[in-house]
Amino acid sequence: MTSLIDRYVYTALRRVPEQQRGDIDRELRASIEDAVDARVDSGEERDTAVEGALIELGDPDKLADQYAGRSNVLIGPDYYPAWRRLLTLLLSTVLPIVVIIGVVVQLIDDPDIGKVIGGAVTAILNVGIQMAFWTTAVFVVLERTGAGPVRKGLTLNWTPKDLPKFEPSTVPLTEVVAGVVWPILLIGALVWQQVGLDRVPVLDPANWSFWWPYMIVAFVLGAGYQVWLYRRRSYDRTVSVVNAVQQLISAVPLIWLLATDHFFNPEYHDFIDLGGGDVKHWFTVSVIALVALGTGYDIIKVILRGEQERRGLPSKVPGTGNYNFG
Amino acid sequence: MDATLAGHLQELRRGTVVVASLIALRAPGYGYSLLETLSRAGFEVEANTLYPLLRRLEAQGLLTSEWNTDEARPRKFYRTTEQGDALAETLRGEWSRIDTAIGDLSVKSGSEE
Repeated sequence: MTSLIDRYVYTALRRVPEQQRGDIDRELRASIEDAVDARVDSGEERDTAVEGALIELGDPDKLADQYAGRSNVLIGPDYYPAWRRLLTLLLSTVLPIVVIIGVVVQLIDDPDIGKVIGGAVTAILNVGIQMAFWTTAVFVVLERTGAGPVRKGLTLNWTPKDLPKFEPSTVPLTEVVAGVVWPILLIGALVWQQVGLDRVPVLDPANWSFWWPYMIVAFVLGAGYQVWLYRRRSYDRTVSVVNAVQQLISAVPLIWLLATDHFFNPEYHDFIDLGGGDVKHWFTVSVIALVALGTGYDIIKVILRGEQERRGLPSKVPGTGNYNFG
Repeated sequence: MDATLAGHLQELRRGTVVVASLIALRAPGYGYSLLETLSRAGFEVEANTLYPLLRRLEAQGLLTSEWNTDEARPRKFYRTTEQGDALAETLRGEWSRIDTAIGDLSVKSGSEE
């Protein structure tokens, strides 16, 4: 039968590098015996004394960590900031791009809404977990092995140039101008493809009875919204709602027309020939995806700006203040 | 509040055990004897911190060790090296410099009567 001291020493030594074990074994035993003797001398029973001495030494695993000079952290303060920045970058930038590509591919392949959503959720979980795991794994290896000068090499030299730029949350003029010019161009293109070409119109002429005039009105409203926004000079919840409405009154019918095959002129057959594939189908799916993503992005962007303005925060200029990891 | 105090005390005391050990071990001593010496001198040090610390200081060349098998219980005796002694002196110098600096500060701010 092994004694309590034996069990303690074995447990501690398990996690100590082998070449140190013999020496630590002898020293640790001597130290424990010394402590036990001191307790016995002051009147304790031997068993109680052993227990007391071991309790005083504490968790043998922690003691082993101390002997081995191991840090008992997964990623220490040297690496934590770099780890967090890299993971944030991957999850906030790379992951959405991967998911969007996956969604577009699925839409082209088989635009079934269930499959698209299922694929997106699976991609977020799979890719996200992989990114988090491998990033963490690499940093854990660095933490365990990267002692000495290598450690210095990874320290990111921060300079004031790395600070992000902030803009006061006013309405950017460039966006307003673009927001006015774009609908005008769309209306021009819509009319021109019908009357300006000596060819079969690209878009379905049957829609001139209602949907194309409706679109023109919607585009004019969109341009009017931009002017209204510019004069208002700031974002808030009203703007968020108005923006969402004006985006949806054009986007929803547009997607519906595309999805029900009422968008392109049935008489028009001059789609670019890409090796005999169903170019019209692909094109339709791509336009649907583009309209849906663009509309969603714009609605969310305006809502976020409204929230930032409400909290009085300046907004960060995109693409500034990112560390380059080179 | 006690947790705050304990945290700050721990921060302040970190490193003092090294200086104390290097000074105490000018006369050779083994683990448990040093633990006794230090706690009698008023240093709060745990056995599970001290024993691994001694090995680290030895690895850094600040202590040397020798097994003494003359007695019934073999013990590893540590002794401060010249290098360790020099380091301890430097650390002590720094310690008293900080003490003086803090004294100066409290005189200037008028908090010392």
